[in-house]
Amino acid sequence: MSITGSAIGTDKRGIRELGGEEKLGWDEVEQGVVLSSFDGSTENAAFLKPEEREYSDFNSYTATVASWRIIKPVYNRDICIDCQNCWVWCPDTSIISRDKQMLGIDYDHCKGCGVCVEVCPTNPKSLLMFNEASDNDAELAGWPVKEKKEK
Amino acid sequence: MAITSIKNLKEFSTNNDRFEGAHLLCPGCAHSMIVRELMNCTDDNLVISSNTGCLEVSTAVYPYTSWDTSWIHIGFENSATAVTGAEAMYKARKRKGTLKDPDAPVKFVAFGGDGSTYDIGFQWLSGAMERGHDFTYICLDNENYANTGGQRSSATPIGAHTSTAQAGTHSYGKKQKKKDIVSIMAAHGSPYVAQLAPNKWKSMAKGFQKALETEGPCFINTVSACTTEWKFDPKDTIHVTDLATDSLMFPIYEIIDGHELNILYRPKNIIKVEDYLGAQGRYKHLFKPENKHVIERIQSDIDKNWTMLQRREEAKI
Amino acid sequence: MANEYELNDVEVWDGNFAASQALRQAQVDVVAAYPITPSTPIVEGYGGYVANGYVDGEFVMVESEHAAMSGCIGASAAGGRVATATSSQGFALMAEVLYQASGMRLPIVLTVVNRALASPLNVRGDHSDMYLGRDSGWIQIDAFNAQEAYDLPLCAFKIGEHLDVRLPVMVHQDGFTTSHKAQNVYPMKDQIAYNFIGKFVPVDEMLDFTRPVTHGAQTEEDWHYEHKAKQHKALMDSRTVIDDVFAKFKELTGREYKRVETYMMEDAEVALVLLGSSVETAVLAAKQLRDEEGIKVGIVAPRCLRPFPYDLIRDALDTTSLKAVCCLDKSAPGGAMGALFNEVSAAAYTTKARPLMSNYIYGLGGRDFAVDEAKRIMKEQVAHANAGHITTDIQQFSGLRGPKLGFFQTRRG
Repeated sequence: MSITGSAIGTDKRGIRELGGEEKLGWDEVEQGVVLSSFDGSTENAAFLKPEEREYSDFNSYTATVASWRIIKPVYNRDICIDCQNCWVWCPDTSIISRDKQMLGIDYDHCKGCGVCVEVCPTNPKSLLMFNEASDNDAELAGWPVKEKKEK
Repeated sequence: MAITSIKNLKEFSTNNDRFEGAHLLCPGCAHSMIVRELMNCTDDNLVISSNTGCLEVSTAVYPYTSWDTSWIHIGFENSATAVTGAEAMYKARKRKGTLKDPDAPVKFVAFGGDGSTYDIGFQWLSGAMERGHDFTYICLDNENYANTGGQRSSATPIGAHTSTAQAGTHSYGKKQKKKDIVSIMAAHGSPYVAQLAPNKWKSMAKGFQKALETEGPCFINTVSACTTEWKFDPKDTIHVTDLATDSLMFPIYEIIDGHELNILYRPKNIIKVEDYLGAQGRYKHLFKPENKHVIERIQSDIDKNWTMLQRREEAKI
Repeated sequence: MANEYELNDVEVWDGNFAASQALRQAQVDVVAAYPITPSTPIVEGYGGYVANGYVDGEFVMVESEHAAMSGCIGASAAGGRVATATSSQGFALMAEVLYQASGMRLPIVLTVVNRALASPLNVRGDHSDMYLGRDSGWIQIDAFNAQEAYDLPLCAFKIGEHLDVRLPVMVHQDGFTTSHKAQNVYPMKDQIAYNFIGKFVPVDEMLDFTRPVTHGAQTEEDWHYEHKAKQHKALMDSRTVIDDVFAKFKELTGREYKRVETYMMEDAEVALVLLGSSVETAVLAAKQLRDEEGIKVGIVAPRCLRPFPYDLIRDALDTTSLKAVCCLDKSAPGGAMGALFNEVSAAAYTTKARPLMSNYIYGLGGRDFAVDEAKRIMKEQVAHANAGHITTDIQQFSGLRGPKLGFFQTRRG
């Protein structure tokens, strides 16, 4: 599911559409409808980056909602000041930041709400919304220049 | 406990999210901004409960969970009871030595929407607060039953249009004022009560941390702008929340031990409530001439409330 | 460590105190409770044990029965032994969360002191609340006297917590007639009772942070049906575990329990089927009728209401001598035949004997059910048997003032 520019993730990120999972019989479903977040035994996830976690198939991390998107944010590293506004306000855990640096967008989980673009303080913005079908590289090539503030 | 540094956003961003994507909340929903921030405020293990509502039906639909910590949902009304039952079990097992890792730090947190907090779960919340469990209850207040398509709750402000308090030729929407949940919770003698908003991420993070650190039952009402039912563009969630806090429709403040009120955010430029109301479809009808009095009433209520909060702060009561 | 409680070989306890002692000996970790007549003394008892160091658990006095069961669910999902008690309106208020507890497969023990449901308000014993639990997915076990009100909660923990079961269990006793009637009770020593149940084994516990789990997920049309079927299978299969636990209990105490208790059924020509403290009344009446008039009466008493013992009921009723059976329901039937009648008749229909099946409603709101009335009903069964068909209305009311009330007649005569 990942497309160019989606930065780091695990092999399991967004591997299937919601509802695309195998439908099991009564004898195979989980007792008590209990879902485990990870396979096996794990350290507190607060101390593990996503790529260090053993996500179970029940974790929604393994699903994608990319098909919800009509427009998508495109990220321009050249302008970004790593303020992390987009990270803190992303409702879909889709801004990939590591070590205080913004790395890119998780296109498996981004729903295209556009909040990240609105809260981006740079001029021009380091994130802009484009049609889902558009080509990221082409959009980056045509990135707008700095806007002069109207007096 | 392991409290995360919130000195600045860059530092805060080094936290590893424990709330996963591909949940089913609407694009631009403030619920997940608030939940993410709560979970990023601490490195402790978390036992979380959720009332039935948008958050619950969007984050635990079999066979998926968006939670990387222990989580439980029972019903619409009882997340406070569910998590305090778990907290009681924690105490019993710690005393008896039956915990797998008795030294692992843990915090107990309950989430509820305004419907479950102000209305159907009010009694369960009140009971849990009175019993003095060590937990934090966070209300995701989007001022309506959004999960069922936008009905009025007792958190819906006067004048708002909802499907069960409709604006029409004979009605300006909801006729009743919003319930003051923060005061009610403070009156329970809770050691820490606050109203916070995700646009002010730092005061929200600080408030969350205070609540988690404070022993006893803490309550936080968070403003959760609802793109679907407030009727604004999903990209504008933070913008609309800015208008909410800067018009003082949602003042940001805390009450410690029921008698020390501190204002946590003073807008440099207090904006008129029209600016806030005008940004949302649910208040559109208020701009008709015949409903002008409702806007005046809302503004007057805001002014009186702000005066009251400032006086309480000055008087340290 | 909790203090040991000094117990005599024989104690004089009422059903409530007996149940509270069982909860103490089980060393329940969390009791979340709300008071209601007539079950209040059970949780008061536990509260007293906490206050005096006889248990190490947490006693959480909540603000309603709904919260009591909600707290029990949260506590149980956190991986420990949990119990509470309730009756009547409290049970009804709990109803929503009873279904959650069973669907979430949490082995909570609920001691229910049976009481009528309003309206009109009534604090006395009938089986309306017990019947309300029928479809809740819980195992339901019925104690007929104080000794059983002590023995059966001990068994209930062992049954519900069994890894093949993992379901919540109700242990019922009748309000006042059992709960408030002091009787001789033979308790076990604390350690023996605790060892019989064994240590609680957590499954999918929320306090194991090395394995975070989500409890209470939603399932829609793609998944709900499979989960409910799996839950039903577990409940049906619990029959063998119940039998096994009862057998172990007999080894330890000499006291024998069966999912269906039968009395004098070997040669019985007529039989009554009933529940609760009335069973002892009926057994006494049957013995007297046998002695006095040579009428061969037997008694069938489902010990286990859920899972419904279709198998053992059928065994009990499948004798060549049996001609007529009356099922007595101590719950307002609400526009139907009595529930016990319906379920027992369904089982009886697949026997070779196919006895005549009739129904009495009795004892609502604590109306007395005396030996003479039991005998009258037994004799009526003899009249049915002799006629070869049901000679009265199929559903009748026992001990009711006013004109005779009855519904439906047989087409077999």
